[in-house]
Amino acid sequence: MSDSEDFYQLLGVSRTAGQDEIQKAYRKLARKYHPDINKDPGAEEKFKAVSEAYDVLSEPEKRKRYDAFGKDFRQVPPDMDPETYARAKSGGGFQSAEGVNFEDLFGGMFGGGFQGGFQGGFGRQPRGPIPGADQEAGVEISLDEAFRGGRRSFTLDGPEGSRTVDVNIPAGVINGKRIRLAGQGGYGSGEGAPRGDLYLVVHLLHDKRYQVEGRDVTVDLPLLPSEAALGATVAMDLPGGGEAKLKIAAGTSSGRKLRLRGRGIPNSRGNPGDLYAAVKIVVPKDLTDAQRKLYEELAAATDENPRRPG
Amino acid sequence: MTYALVRRRPGAAQLDLPTFAHATGLHPELVRRFTVLGLLEPVEDARGEWWYPVAQVSAAARIQRLRAGFSLNYAAVGLVADLLDRIADLEADLRSRRSGD
Repeated sequence: MSDSEDFYQLLGVSRTAGQDEIQKAYRKLARKYHPDINKDPGAEEKFKAVSEAYDVLSEPEKRKRYDAFGKDFRQVPPDMDPETYARAKSGGGFQSAEGVNFEDLFGGMFGGGFQGGFQGGFGRQPRGPIPGADQEAGVEISLDEAFRGGRRSFTLDGPEGSRTVDVNIPAGVINGKRIRLAGQGGYGSGEGAPRGDLYLVVHLLHDKRYQVEGRDVTVDLPLLPSEAALGATVAMDLPGGGEAKLKIAAGTSSGRKLRLRGRGIPNSRGNPGDLYAAVKIVVPKDLTDAQRKLYEELAAATDENPRRPG
Repeated sequence: MTYALVRRRPGAAQLDLPTFAHATGLHPELVRRFTVLGLLEPVEDARGEWWYPVAQVSAAARIQRLRAGFSLNYAAVGLVADLLDRIADLEADLRSRRSGD
């Protein structure tokens, strides 16, 4: 929990809230942030923080001391007067008549402080370490990264503050796939508790040049009417880099799809997808006089009607 | 920091009850109790010994977290765990439908 967060604020209740209201607020937040229900990497910390707040505010004695002394209440001697404490604190540390520093004394006794979300709140009996839960976080990946793989840095929040994790994105990941980072999930509670795993769920970013379905990728292939009518060999950029030469048969119409087998998104554990080039005939917007004349001649020599079958 | 990507190993080793208890930090009697309550699902061999798949270690941790976090009794823990598993299966199904694989 960050030091600045007040227990009442954490639970979203006023300082005058009754026990029922505090319990209700806590139960709702616990259901929302329990790490087995909420896979977000920040959820476990939030769960522990609201559990700690509830642990204190649900017990009238602890709550009274929290109200009087704030978050340091565990370090304050039981019979301390709040006003004396406040004065001593602003004066820089509290010393007893004998020169014993109470913060040292009680800090040692209660040094462990709160034991973590799963150990307080309800049971209150000491338990062994409880391993951490698995977590999930989304990762947005470009089509280029899906083809070629890449390296990504993530900033994740944890009990020791935020940390940066570098991840190699393997080539061939597609929408909805999960990348597992072993031991990078929830911390659990108690000494020596093993951590859960972190899963990065891939979200493939939309690229307006391409349509992606699974591992198959479709791209428009613009052709001139003459190329489509007479046939041609054209060069096309491939997603993920490189170029391919395509042989267009004479008499190719818009909508025809040419398949480039295995040139879709790669697959580390099986067959790669296919790349489809969808023919789209593009007519020059402005014709030169010579072109117009030739089109007119072509029109005169053509008696077919594409709007009538057969 | 760079972390290696690790794949789950399907069909990985199974642990006998004392080893499983040690791995989970639970008392062997509590492991036995979880098993009788149907919260853990070991494989029974011909001699009637229980063998716990490695994936059951994280299942045991979830039982502890759910019980401690919500003050649930073990019957309710079983219900919640089953529902969470069903949600996970449905989400996985949804993901694979979206990815078309």
